[in-house]
Amino acid sequence: MKSREAAVTRLLPRPLHAALTTILLLIVLGPIVYVFLASTNTDLSVAAGDFWPKHVSFVNYHRIWSTVELGKGLTNSVIVSGTVAVASAVVAVGSAYVLVRHRFRGRLTILRGLVGLQSVPGTLLLLPVFVLFATLANTLGITIIGTRWALFVTYLSFALPFSTWVMVTYLRGLPAEVSEAARVDGASEWQILTRIVMPLSWPGLVVSAIFAFLLGWNDVLFASVITNVDTRTAAVALQVFGATQEGGAIPVYGQMMAAALVCALPVVILYLVFQRYLISGLTAGGGK
Amino acid sequence: MLAPGGVLTLLVVVLPFLVAVYISFLDLDQYTFRRWVHAPFTGIDNYVDAWRHSDLLHAVWVSGSAAVIATVVALPVGMAAALTTHNRFPGRAAVRSIYLIPYVLPAFVVGTVWRIILAPDGVANNLLHRLGLDTSGANGLWLNGPRSYWALIAVQIWASWPLIYLLVLAGLQSIDHSLHEAAALDGAGWWTKLRSIVVPHLRGPVALGLLITVLHIFNSFTLPFVLFGVPSPHDVEVLPVLTYVESFQNFRFGLSAAMAVVSLLLILIPLLVYLRAVRLDVGEDDR
Repeated sequence: MKSREAAVTRLLPRPLHAALTTILLLIVLGPIVYVFLASTNTDLSVAAGDFWPKHVSFVNYHRIWSTVELGKGLTNSVIVSGTVAVASAVVAVGSAYVLVRHRFRGRLTILRGLVGLQSVPGTLLLLPVFVLFATLANTLGITIIGTRWALFVTYLSFALPFSTWVMVTYLRGLPAEVSEAARVDGASEWQILTRIVMPLSWPGLVVSAIFAFLLGWNDVLFASVITNVDTRTAAVALQVFGATQEGGAIPVYGQMMAAALVCALPVVILYLVFQRYLISGLTAGGGK
Repeated sequence: MLAPGGVLTLLVVVLPFLVAVYISFLDLDQYTFRRWVHAPFTGIDNYVDAWRHSDLLHAVWVSGSAAVIATVVALPVGMAAALTTHNRFPGRAAVRSIYLIPYVLPAFVVGTVWRIILAPDGVANNLLHRLGLDTSGANGLWLNGPRSYWALIAVQIWASWPLIYLLVLAGLQSIDHSLHEAAALDGAGWWTKLRSIVVPHLRGPVALGLLITVLHIFNSFTLPFVLFGVPSPHDVEVLPVLTYVESFQNFRFGLSAAMAVVSLLLILIPLLVYLRAVRLDVGEDDR
């Protein structure tokens, strides 16, 4: 029965399936395997275009921490992106709850805005954000640009539309009867949100938190302008390797590759652990 | 409960947007920057300047054509990937995870990695050479000169086909089982089945995937910025990078703001199409 089932839904003949799968895996894994090999290789050998390392050594994984302050960059990234993740998930669930369970004027406009804002180019907002931070700092006599707060506020506001949209698509799937029943029992809106909606919607919360985290983690545009040496994120720190040369004209290729892998690792782990939930979020914009 | 999110979005998205539009009408440079509110108002001078004396049109062309070409090539790759993981086979879960890696990797990592792979004496040229291809044209340069345009497109394809794959896979799995049964009963071969049953069903997801991918690549800053560095080679001076450079390298803030407004206007049409396609509401039936 099972084999008949497979024969009915089969889309590709076996040899073609095998060939396509092999080619696609090579396209994806080729560069990734190479990056790992290059990170264990000498800079000279990488510069000469060798695929296989001449001498395998993991010394680059030691050196990256002192060549550039990568540790500080990773710490900054974790602090800023982590707090953005938590804050945006919490704010998003509140907004999304209102948008899903209540009908009011302008609601559709807000929903459209949530989707539309995701496509507004960051370059449009970079300059004004910079100008506004500078003006505010001058007026109040405080430092804003160069602090983690500046990054936090910027990323949070960019993360919110998407986080809210993810929560909207998630909360739609929850039965309205549960919160109705609680309301009949005399629970306040706040109690319904914190005691009923939030516990029921944690997979959605996790997805919107992870997307907010990635937005901060992956950003180069804003971080390259509104951070300084002490607050720069891992993404900016990685760019510094490109400008670093040690005793000669060859860039520190091996260390760049090692650092790139280190910067990618948290993202890949998050993705592998939460894969099942994340895919629903990846296609949330396209859910029809 | 709508208030915190709403206020934050207003403060940090809508207000800067208005400021961006305002700045695009000012003669703002590093001298007038500190007192930007009092910078001379010059009407549409920046737009005229951007049109006549800047690389704006070239950048729009580079961004637009690269986005379209990369998306068109990514489509068959994504569809092929979806077809290979639609049916069960041992190891399918692992293959599905691997397919998404290029999309999951941060753009700044992808850019850094390909920058080294495509270096003049790097592994890409070495490999091509061994395959018997002549790489000496354009001095073997991929990150500079005319070939850089194709390098940008190639890396964008590598990084963006998985989104199309995801949307197409979701579309494949929503095909009604009875259609598969009917095709089997009629003895339809795999090619006939693909052409007359599968492809017509994928129009929606494919259209959406193409739209999102074009928008995504057109707007992408990090990948070209990291892959080619600044100042960017002329052949790959995409619109987001040009806008950034005018602001933070040349300090021509007014001009840069005008370019940014133009880039928003350019994506407005595909964006509105996209907004119409996304299901915004649950409708009244499930209340």
